[in-house]
Amino acid sequence: MSLVIARNELRRLFVQPLAWALLAAVLGVLAYFFLLTLQGFLGLMPKIAGNAAAPGVTDLVALPLMRAIASVLLLVVPLLGMRTFAGDRAALPLLLTSGLSDARIVVGKYISLVVFFALLILVALAMPLSLEVGTALDLGRLAASAFGLMLFAAALAALALWASALAQQPAVAAGVALVLNLLLWMLDAGARYEGVTSEFVNYLALPTHLEPFLHGIVSTVDVVYFVLLAMVALALATRRLSASRVRG
Amino acid sequence: MVTDLNLDLDRGSVLGLLGVNGAGKSTTLRMIVGLLAPSSGQVLIGGADLREEPAAARRLGYLPELAPLHAELRVEEYLAFCARLRGLRGVSSTQAIDRVVERCGLGDVRRRLLGHLSKGFQQRAGIAQAIVHAPELIVLDEPASGLDPRQAAQIRALIRELGQEHAVILSTHLLPDVQACCERVAILHEGTLRYDGPRQALGDDLEAIFLRVVSGGEAAVAA
Repeated sequence: MSLVIARNELRRLFVQPLAWALLAAVLGVLAYFFLLTLQGFLGLMPKIAGNAAAPGVTDLVALPLMRAIASVLLLVVPLLGMRTFAGDRAALPLLLTSGLSDARIVVGKYISLVVFFALLILVALAMPLSLEVGTALDLGRLAASAFGLMLFAAALAALALWASALAQQPAVAAGVALVLNLLLWMLDAGARYEGVTSEFVNYLALPTHLEPFLHGIVSTVDVVYFVLLAMVALALATRRLSASRVRG
Repeated sequence: MVTDLNLDLDRGSVLGLLGVNGAGKSTTLRMIVGLLAPSSGQVLIGGADLREEPAAARRLGYLPELAPLHAELRVEEYLAFCARLRGLRGVSSTQAIDRVVERCGLGDVRRRLLGHLSKGFQQRAGIAQAIVHAPELIVLDEPASGLDPRQAAQIRALIRELGQEHAVILSTHLLPDVQACCERVAILHEGTLRYDGPRQALGDDLEAIFLRVVSGGEAAVAA
């Protein structure tokens, strides 16, 4: 039943301009970034051509693009996720009186967000993959990065959905989600700046768990972190929805 | 805040919940459909308590004050989603949609976007959504408010028709709604039930009686 909701949400998303505009804008920015790094790499190539230990095209072009995707997601996920509940208050009684559990409603809306961002990541991935025509890429590493980015997006989407369940206005939801994202993004850097190197703070921060994927390392700890983050946010969103039945 | 409310309703009758703005009509309806949990007491739909058996919600259809439409979808896409949400699929879903489209007079607009429809058609789409799965109980919150007299008359005729097969509860502050559709009237004022009984017993001058009740005179009207 969650899938029925997810399909309907995706349909609603793609008949409106917001999703297309976001896709176009994000891919435009990423393409520009990609061409810049590619040009930089081409300029550098004569100098490193003889050196076997020098970093290759995967390091110098593909991975910077992956990092750029991660940064863009920090901003774009709240923008798209804000409407899931906060922008849809009038139509919500339809779902709430359908006999589905609140958890299924939350999961249904969540799936639609995850599918959208998976799509965005896959399309963006076509850019570095196009280099495979002329050179050899480290495909394993690229696959690991893409997988990591999808987990990253899935966790951010859950946070955005939770913010959207809390807020009455979509703009507030976007703001809350953005602050949460940036906080989790810079948490460890801030702590280190203050001279605190805490394992725990490092564990909480998003980059700690995204970086290994970009280096081709898929470890359970990192996968579990993203899954856990998503599950906690979804559970909180479900609670908020259930609480609305008691408090009104 | 609603207290001491006791209502029961059988299939094939229309109950009008009458009251001024703020009397607790919408709160009562929200409790009936499970959007709001009563702090004490219970709501039974065909013997099932929604808090224990959430799936029993499929036995009711609900139109809130603001119709829960997806403005960016076409009428038939939206109704198809509503039907699937309530567990209808395949042929039975298509038939159910055709039936409500005809019944609610949406035939000419079924391919148009909900957001582009007039208020009257949107309200009809809202009712279509509430009845597409042929529920036993239909709950309508101010179905005719904000409509022009002709649209309101059409909606009332539709409600009367629905009342022949389903149990219908409608809330309203418009006396013509009650006069046109309801066999039974419950008057709610300041969160308590002031009258519950057949409309005929109130006589023709519903307005005078209603005003007497809400101006705080008698606790109950002598039927």
